[in-house]
Amino acid sequence: MDFKDFLAAFSIQGINNIFFKTIMIVSAVSYFFYALVISKQVKTMDKTLQDKYNWVVLLITSLQVTVSLILLILAIFLI
Amino acid sequence: MENNNKKSSVFYSYCLNPQIDFETHGEGEKIILLLRSHPFTQIGWILNSIFFFILLFISNFFIQSFFNLGQIFIINLFFIIFILSYVWFNILSWYFNVGIITNKRVVDIDLHAVIYKEISDAQLGKIEDITVKSGGYLQSLFDYGSIFIQTAGAAVNIEFNNVPHPTDAVQIINQLISKKHGF
Repeated sequence: MDFKDFLAAFSIQGINNIFFKTIMIVSAVSYFFYALVISKQVKTMDKTLQDKYNWVVLLITSLQVTVSLILLILAIFLI
Repeated sequence: MENNNKKSSVFYSYCLNPQIDFETHGEGEKIILLLRSHPFTQIGWILNSIFFFILLFISNFFIQSFFNLGQIFIINLFFIIFILSYVWFNILSWYFNVGIITNKRVVDIDLHAVIYKEISDAQLGKIEDITVKSGGYLQSLFDYGSIFIQTAGAAVNIEFNNVPHPTDAVQIINQLISKKHGF
């Protein structure tokens, strides 16, 4: 990064981008922890109530955790 | 039961002789009925979700001047995932909030806000009073209501809120209590 890029980072557009990225990372991290808590709780409830559709619930919950992880990676590296 | 003509119905919220098991299931205990809230009572969050999707769609016209195309895509992605999570949260709350009637007791499994789990049960022999509350246009139209089961002494009282065919469910409980007392 040369001095010109350094100054550009502090332009209105640069501040806007940093602000946007920060918000996205904080949201993605919060959502990731939320998905983990839901996943843990669903596993507990799966033991509490065993039903024939529980596999669907567990599958969707695993998908939610995967999506939250993808969001986190997207927020950190791609935005 | 034998003379109860309602089969498993109403989108899996009233199941006679369901193929389920639960944590505190005792030996020789037969599950007679499984109850969940009537699907119609879930209409509130379904409408909310549709409203949020419409709001997101409309907001896209206003945020164009503040963000670039990539950022708009990411914002949309985040909000769509959050709305779908809201939908999933409510489905889980509905799915895991059940009332179970067995040949020995009545069990109420609650999952408050998907974080707090509460299981309460009452032996059939300890049930003193059962009240059904069903009123209003919608409850009469869709045949759903709440069942309040009062038990003897300091034992916990049980509530099944907004369940389908509440009078049939109470009839089943009464038959089981009668059998228990040998009437």
